[in-house]
Amino acid sequence: MAKLLKPTIKQLIFFNFELEKNKDMNDELERLILNNRRSFEDDEPLEGHFGRFEARLQKAAKPSPIARLRPIFRIAAIVVFALLAVNQARLWFTPDKKDTLSLGSISPQYREVEFYYTTAIQTDMKQLRLLENEGLISDSEKQMFQKEQKEFDQMYQKLLEDLKANPNDERVINAMLEYYQARMNVLSLIVSKLKEVKQHKNSQNEVNL
Amino acid sequence: MSSLVRKQIENLETTYQNIHQEIIDRCRKGDSKAQFEIYKLYYKSMYNVCLRMVGNEVEAEDVMQESFLKAFTKLDSYRGEVSFGAWLRKIVINRSLDQLKKRKVKFEELNEKIPDEETVQLDISEIQMEKLKKAVYSLPDGYRVVLSLYLLEGYDHEEISQILGISNGSSRSQFLRAKMRLREILQKEEMYEYN
Repeated sequence: MAKLLKPTIKQLIFFNFELEKNKDMNDELERLILNNRRSFEDDEPLEGHFGRFEARLQKAAKPSPIARLRPIFRIAAIVVFALLAVNQARLWFTPDKKDTLSLGSISPQYREVEFYYTTAIQTDMKQLRLLENEGLISDSEKQMFQKEQKEFDQMYQKLLEDLKANPNDERVINAMLEYYQARMNVLSLIVSKLKEVKQHKNSQNEVNL
Repeated sequence: MSSLVRKQIENLETTYQNIHQEIIDRCRKGDSKAQFEIYKLYYKSMYNVCLRMVGNEVEAEDVMQESFLKAFTKLDSYRGEVSFGAWLRKIVINRSLDQLKKRKVKFEELNEKIPDEETVQLDISEIQMEKLKKAVYSLPDGYRVVLSLYLLEGYDHEEISQILGISNGSSRSQFLRAKMRLREILQKEEMYEYN
């Protein structure tokens, strides 16, 4: 114990300092700890800590797989990666562009117009199919309709190509609008006529009954 | 005031700094042999700092070694304003605090009356240092950390309140409570011995 209480230089500095600031000099406990600061520094880590640290040091020093490659290979790896990335990006973006090109891709207003016409056409088509199922249309009529729709589709494809070539040409845009109007009008005319026929048939049935 | 104490220690350690400067420079270049040299020079005092902070041998070693690795990666930020040992110590203390935070140790005790200092006289000269040390290590985390930072690392309450994120008053009361608990433990030990 005498050995423990023998002051070292560091402890003397502490001690002098303690006198200077007169911090709890009457507190024996504090003084004891302060004066024996060194004995709080003499614990040893568990055995084998040198080895454990060396292992960690080696693990930390091991360069990453990429850093270990020679500079030329590193550059090559980067180039290959960049090419793959570009290719992937192209694959991602190109088909999208093709799909989205239409009247609606010119401006939001046109998108609205296009949406109006396409939904109108779709609902008419649906109704036509319903009437068709009711047997109101003869086979020859059906073929005529299909031929007509096919022609409309072909016209649309041609217009799309024109639009692709001259995206801001007013004439192409107007032609597109006219196409939609015409298709919608033709369809709604057919549907309304068929409905008339249906009503006529119904009333005739009633009369017959 | 205590920061002055720390400066004294730091000044003492700067005399060592120049001796190790060459090894430190080699560490900067990533020389793992030099890094191991540094470890051999400083592991003991750093381990003891850790042990006091986290209070567990296995964790202390882990935090200590982790701190060395961390120190080597950010050696460029060491400008030599303080001794290398003091710089390392700071990293060790911060890492230890992180570890304690992981364990969710709470340092704050709000709206707490600072207890009056007990006037019980302990015949401390009779107590062996080892016993005192054991008692310090057996303190609850919060008490032990504040007591170590204040008495052994030379931080003042202002600094402690900052690094622990508590109020100045809390730091003081934690410290007083730590001392009280320490006395209790030591008294019990004494009685146990006499019985």
